[in-house]
Amino acid sequence: MATTVTEPGLRRVERLERIWVEPRGLLGWLTTTDHKRIGLLYFFTTLAFFGAGGIEALLMRTQLSQPEEKVLSPETYNQLMTMHGVTMIFLFVIPMAIGAFGNYLVPLMIGARDMAFPRLNALSFWLFLASGLFMYASVFMHAAPNAGWFDYVPLALKPYSPGRNIDFYALGLIFNGISSTAAALNFIVTIFKLRAPGMSMNRMPLFCFAMLAVSLSLIFALPSLTIDLVFLELQRNLGFHFFDVPHGGDPLLWQHLFWLFGHPEVYIIILPAFGIATSIIPTFSKRKMIAFPLVALAELLVAFIGFGVWAHHMFATGLPTITLVFFAAASMMVVIPSTIQVFAWTVTVALGRPEFRAPLMFIGGFIVFFVLGGLSGIMFAAIPFDQATTDTYFVVAHFHFIIFGAAVFPILGGMFYWFPKVTGRLYHEGAAKFSFWLAFVGTALTFFPMHVVGLLGMTRRVYTYPSSLGWDAYNLSETIGAFILTAGLLLIFANLAYSRFRGAPAGPDPFFGGTLEWTTTSPPPPYNFPVIPTVKSAYPNWDVEDRRADAARLERGELVFDEGHETPASTVVDAVPDEIVEMPSESPWPLAVAVCTGLLFVMLLTRHYAVAGVFAGLALLAVAAWHAKEPLET
Amino acid sequence: MSALPHSGKATTPRAVARVERARLARPNGWWGMAIFVATEATLFGTILGTYFYLRFNNLHWPPPGVPEPKLTLPLVLTAILVSTSVPVQLSVSAAARGQLPRARAALLFAAVLQAGYLGMQLHLFVHDVHEFPPSGSAYSSIYFTMLGAHHLHVFVGILLTLWILIRTASGLTSYRMNGLRATAFYWHFVNVLALCVLGTQLSPLA
Amino acid sequence: MRGLRKEISPNRAVFEPGERERLRRSLGRAGRIAIGAAAAIVLPAAAWAGNGQNALHPASKQEHAISVLWWVMLVGCSIGFGVIATLLLLGWIRRNRDYLPFGGRDRAGTAIVIGLGVFVPIVVLSILFVWSDLYVLKTTDAPAANSTRMSVRVIGHDWWWEIRYPGSRAVTANEIHIPVRTRVDMLGTTADVIHSFWVPELNRKVDLIPGRVNRLLLDADRPGEYRGQCAEFCGQQHAHMGMTVFADSPDVFQRWLANQERPARKPATPQAREGERLFLSLPCSGCHMIRGTGADGTIGPDLTHLATRDTLAALTLPTKPADLAHWIEDPQRYKPGSKMPGSALTSSQRDALVAYLGYLK
Repeated sequence: MATTVTEPGLRRVERLERIWVEPRGLLGWLTTTDHKRIGLLYFFTTLAFFGAGGIEALLMRTQLSQPEEKVLSPETYNQLMTMHGVTMIFLFVIPMAIGAFGNYLVPLMIGARDMAFPRLNALSFWLFLASGLFMYASVFMHAAPNAGWFDYVPLALKPYSPGRNIDFYALGLIFNGISSTAAALNFIVTIFKLRAPGMSMNRMPLFCFAMLAVSLSLIFALPSLTIDLVFLELQRNLGFHFFDVPHGGDPLLWQHLFWLFGHPEVYIIILPAFGIATSIIPTFSKRKMIAFPLVALAELLVAFIGFGVWAHHMFATGLPTITLVFFAAASMMVVIPSTIQVFAWTVTVALGRPEFRAPLMFIGGFIVFFVLGGLSGIMFAAIPFDQATTDTYFVVAHFHFIIFGAAVFPILGGMFYWFPKVTGRLYHEGAAKFSFWLAFVGTALTFFPMHVVGLLGMTRRVYTYPSSLGWDAYNLSETIGAFILTAGLLLIFANLAYSRFRGAPAGPDPFFGGTLEWTTTSPPPPYNFPVIPTVKSAYPNWDVEDRRADAARLERGELVFDEGHETPASTVVDAVPDEIVEMPSESPWPLAVAVCTGLLFVMLLTRHYAVAGVFAGLALLAVAAWHAKEPLET
Repeated sequence: MSALPHSGKATTPRAVARVERARLARPNGWWGMAIFVATEATLFGTILGTYFYLRFNNLHWPPPGVPEPKLTLPLVLTAILVSTSVPVQLSVSAAARGQLPRARAALLFAAVLQAGYLGMQLHLFVHDVHEFPPSGSAYSSIYFTMLGAHHLHVFVGILLTLWILIRTASGLTSYRMNGLRATAFYWHFVNVLALCVLGTQLSPLA
Repeated sequence: MRGLRKEISPNRAVFEPGERERLRRSLGRAGRIAIGAAAAIVLPAAAWAGNGQNALHPASKQEHAISVLWWVMLVGCSIGFGVIATLLLLGWIRRNRDYLPFGGRDRAGTAIVIGLGVFVPIVVLSILFVWSDLYVLKTTDAPAANSTRMSVRVIGHDWWWEIRYPGSRAVTANEIHIPVRTRVDMLGTTADVIHSFWVPELNRKVDLIPGRVNRLLLDADRPGEYRGQCAEFCGQQHAHMGMTVFADSPDVFQRWLANQERPARKPATPQAREGERLFLSLPCSGCHMIRGTGADGTIGPDLTHLATRDTLAALTLPTKPADLAHWIEDPQRYKPGSKMPGSALTSSQRDALVAYLGYLK
């Protein structure tokens, strides 16, 4: 807000700057607890993994561009195929959406100064980085996981996978899960307790509702995967029996536990995209979101109902018919919250006066791909059709339209939307629009033909195919599409990188967005807001009088909280201010805990269990040292 | 807003008691532990779910050659563990009133009982592992995984209790008070869990 | 200063002058493009009858039901997509740079969201549910145990199919023969990892799971060759695990089955006899069975009537002598990772083996 700040106000701002400043240089980044810095660390790390996953995809598509190609051996292809899935899901799309976007934006959108547990936030990042490095070590040893991203048994058991590949998979994902659980916990407590005065639940931005739904899903879904992986490791390395029939086990146990996690996981993937879409649409449609409470409820409902549909991934396994019918019914029910949202978005755009700048175009692409992917998803709720097309390229088409078209397009649009806020500069609009079209055409050309080739009988996870089956032209066009898509992505990142240094200055609010992050400077100061905002509606930046009142408060010293490293905590439902919380400042202990945990997992991988115990003990000591330094008023 | 309680400034038992009285909502640390408990409870839900899934997948449970679970000793031990919820909660209410020595005594008493429980259970565990090792059947695999996970949670609870006892030796702050509340919540969860695990462990006897 | 406006203006229409007409024209143009594109993409797939593995080219009542289900769903989905596309198009027509944020028309918008987003999907999905999951499912579901006159047992292996006929001594690999217009119960299981049995033109797929027998109905309408492939990732050579189902007239089938039951023919030429001798003395007989000789291995496919089969190694290669020779010399070249090792044979030894195998009709 461009109001003149007087002497007392300036002195308060200076005090805040002094209290909240973090060290510069490498040490600052290694010990940071600032959610914005952690968000940036996540952003660049997940981009690197996106690149790795993309290279894996391009290699696979090159191998599949012609029948009986010999670019890759089957073993290499199977490792690439598995790592592509694992990387894109666990190391890119979720940490990018939650760790980068969520971390950077949620405290800003709720008017807080940081997350509820800043050091835990840092730990989440270092654990994530360590788990990614752990899994990629396998790639460099040519021992990457190779049984597909859902790693069915008995293929994943010792007799059929004697090498370390599957152990990298299991231990790596358990490791990754600790990071995600910590992040989810942090988001829930932050959203519950750190909202600005007056931001009752029904005034919280829809992006935060999406983050809340994602975090609750992670909390209740990850344990199922974790225990499945623990069972797998116990069976592989210590001779336990969970999955083999002769000793009373069942291979389907793996599938049930996996999909109990796996289906909520796909809602975890898509919900942040919903959140980004519902941030961009009101801003660029120039109007409030239609049916706001219904959209918020739908975001929570889709996560909740998503826990009841897992066996629709197992329709071909020979489960009893009554079971199939139940899960098909549940799968159809879970469509409704999504259709509510799709119509809310499109009616908002249609009843608004939209300005089709790059962020809104990416959301337009998102809506197109989400609807197409969602419709093919509905087809899978028809059991006989599912049983015909599951495990074929038809399902590969479906989930790529959803995961790439519908989860990644909002991420790309969101990068443009919040780029001015994070960097203080504007991106190049023309290049952004052109890159949208490249990405859109590339995505359509890569994944649409897969529907056809799947119906023509092409199964998934095949490293090659014979020439007599009519699949050749479709595969070639898919490969061409993949390269067009890559060109679009490269142009996007070139635009952002160039504009970071040469873009026009942006100011605090170039798009006139409705949420609180647009009230502060671009980039925000370490303490986010000099005055904690008071909120009276769901679009606080459009309530101009309230924002002017904030500026006046700075002079009077109200809601400034400049006596220490402070932020206010409030009640859960109505956001009545309750207490002043002292925030911790930078700390080396999260990194230390992450290093010890990484070494612990390496020892588990190499089966040096005693040494693993030592590292576990060291990690616990680091946790103790962490808590020995209490955030007290200094 | 300056009338808001400031937890960062409460460094004596009386100041902490004042903050506790004035507070409207539960502290962030309590919520953090609540969410952590939710995830661990789900973890145990899947373990117990697996137990019953495998049970209904098998005609004989336990399989031939594996003894039926013992009744008396696990029952008595679990009763002792569950009863420690009382001194733990008394410790919390004493600390919230500013009565630090009473709080620490109650906590120490609980810790001794909990450590005794764990020692006995580990002894039973090792004995059972030699009698029907997990590599023998799905029954023993899930049996030892379930009990092992539970004992691990008890062990972590004892570590948390020891940490609170060590830190409160030099006085009470709001941070330590929140830690004590969180630890108490954790113990109540572990005790409920102990009942569920016991029930599952003994279910073949039904 | 700028701020939220409650209404654009109380009396202002949703459309500015000319926008309604532009919307109608754009819809017309977009509609024609969409239908043209859809036809161009979809019709070739529907018409393609050539590959033997086309789920939309049904050769049985079951697959026909699935195929019809697909086409109807496609039409329904296209209509749904059309509605969304129209709304987006409307937004495009109304695009404008100069507005400030506003509210209003919330009731109308919410009514559309609830009507189209809740009620219409409930109705459509209920119809789809009843039709596909209660009615069509009855057609494609596995038959009740012992309710068909004929059954065939399929055991999945890495990376080939073992085929047996209950009530008969016949054992073969990678080819299933069934009499046309006969309900045949496929009883499937696996000897190692999970595989999935899928013959697209005859029925949907079913997984082959250790410790379970899953069943599927094979009931071909007309004679023909129907190609199938393993549809559950099962390791390195998952891509080379195909099979063919031959639907023959009943007497052709009976003759075939009777032949498969017989033990192996004796070789008639010296070269072929040398081949038999080699087969029995080399490691070949440790993995493969040739009934009626001393070769009794069960790790690899039964070769008793190899020469009646069109392809080798689960449809990887044809059974012509040249291909057979290449396969025996270096299987890893065609199917790297398969369990069959290469052999250091002289060319005359190799030719003798091929000659012998040619006798296994």
